[in-house]
Amino acid sequence: MSSDVILVIVVGTALAFDFTNGFHDTANVVATSISTGAARPSVAIGIASLLNFLGAFISISVAATVANDVVNSAVITPTIVFAGLIGAIAWNLITWSFGLPSSSSHALIGGVVGSAVAAAGFDAVLADGLVGKVLIPAVIAPILAFVVAGIAIGLVYRVVGRQRPGIVTRGFRYGQIISGGLLALAHGTNDAQKTMGVITLALVANGTLAANADPPLWVIVTSATAIALGTYSGGWRIIRTTGTRIIKMDAAQGFSAQGAGATVILASTHFGFPLSTTHVINGGVMGAGAGKRVSAVRWGVAGNIVTAWLLTLPAAAAIGALAYGLTAIFGSGALGPVLVTLMSLSLIVAVFARRSREGAPVPAG
Amino acid sequence: MAVVVETKQLLETVVVSLVAGIGVTVVFSVAIWGVARFGDLNRDDRPLAAGAAAMLAGLAALFTLVAVAFGIAVMSSK
Repeated sequence: MSSDVILVIVVGTALAFDFTNGFHDTANVVATSISTGAARPSVAIGIASLLNFLGAFISISVAATVANDVVNSAVITPTIVFAGLIGAIAWNLITWSFGLPSSSSHALIGGVVGSAVAAAGFDAVLADGLVGKVLIPAVIAPILAFVVAGIAIGLVYRVVGRQRPGIVTRGFRYGQIISGGLLALAHGTNDAQKTMGVITLALVANGTLAANADPPLWVIVTSATAIALGTYSGGWRIIRTTGTRIIKMDAAQGFSAQGAGATVILASTHFGFPLSTTHVINGGVMGAGAGKRVSAVRWGVAGNIVTAWLLTLPAAAAIGALAYGLTAIFGSGALGPVLVTLMSLSLIVAVFARRSREGAPVPAG
Repeated sequence: MAVVVETKQLLETVVVSLVAGIGVTVVFSVAIWGVARFGDLNRDDRPLAAGAAAMLAGLAALFTLVAVAFGIAVMSSK
């Protein structure tokens, strides 16, 4: 009975994380379209939500990696997964409150790794999977997006550079409807699967599913719905950072950045790499800026973002470990997760109340 | 330690991203170039050249759409 209560809390927390993931990452998907005037904010966010939902059904390779290749499912309990999720949600909210586009994916993986280490030591972590499927792709993917967007925008300017700016801008704005849609689909595909993977991990830990099982349909549908709803409710804070503060973008740069981001995410998802869509898209934005003129990139803002990236895994791991320690104080029953959930909800309300007192940020574009 | 880095898969990811990301973006810009040239050549009363530019624009736009559809189909086939 107690384990079922914990499982329900874990699934609820995972879906809450999925919601914050969509909420946090709305900017990644729509910021370039909005800042270049390719789409009105409400239209861009509505389309992104729908394609996020559909994208979640495309593949389950990433879910399998998160469920089987990062931590040892034999020693994982639903409480460990719960504590990891708390670490990820807390870090997502902290970076959101500072307007920093950090990685929800790395927060999730960091949180689960941190709570697993706190509960069962370093043997709980599958180092090969963590390094080979998470850390190395995490470094390569944003650099790859930077290079793809940088080369692409250089070639694009060579092709259309002498044409009338009006028609070129209009053309790339239309193109951004396709590239933005593809990016939203890619985002839903890669990011919703991480939550599917975590819920599957909890179901395996609870004995509800056999080890190495695929996510059940209800897990796929609820994860897709949660991330789509989160995207639809997304905040302006990070949209402004991604859309206008890294570089001042034209439509061709927006198209190149989105195209680079979508191709890198889709290719990585095909091989089951749970990479950070945030890092990839911001890498693409920086590449599209640097490809035009290196000084066009506001490297100070980019530096802040990279710092948040580097901090994400260890910070979420530390919060995940702390959450597990707090939960464990109350024993192995449902009391710990219930109390930590209540504490987390109080903190979330406090963060939102503080931000709303400070006033909503000015929308970009 | 076992083989940690899945080199082949990573390499394929890099190659596919470079080819598809750069290729599709450049081909789409060719479509825009074709549309822009079509307008200019039409105004200059050069219908043959304008038709060729329009055809190039159409082919490039079609290639872009097919490439996007192919990418999604490959993704969903796994």
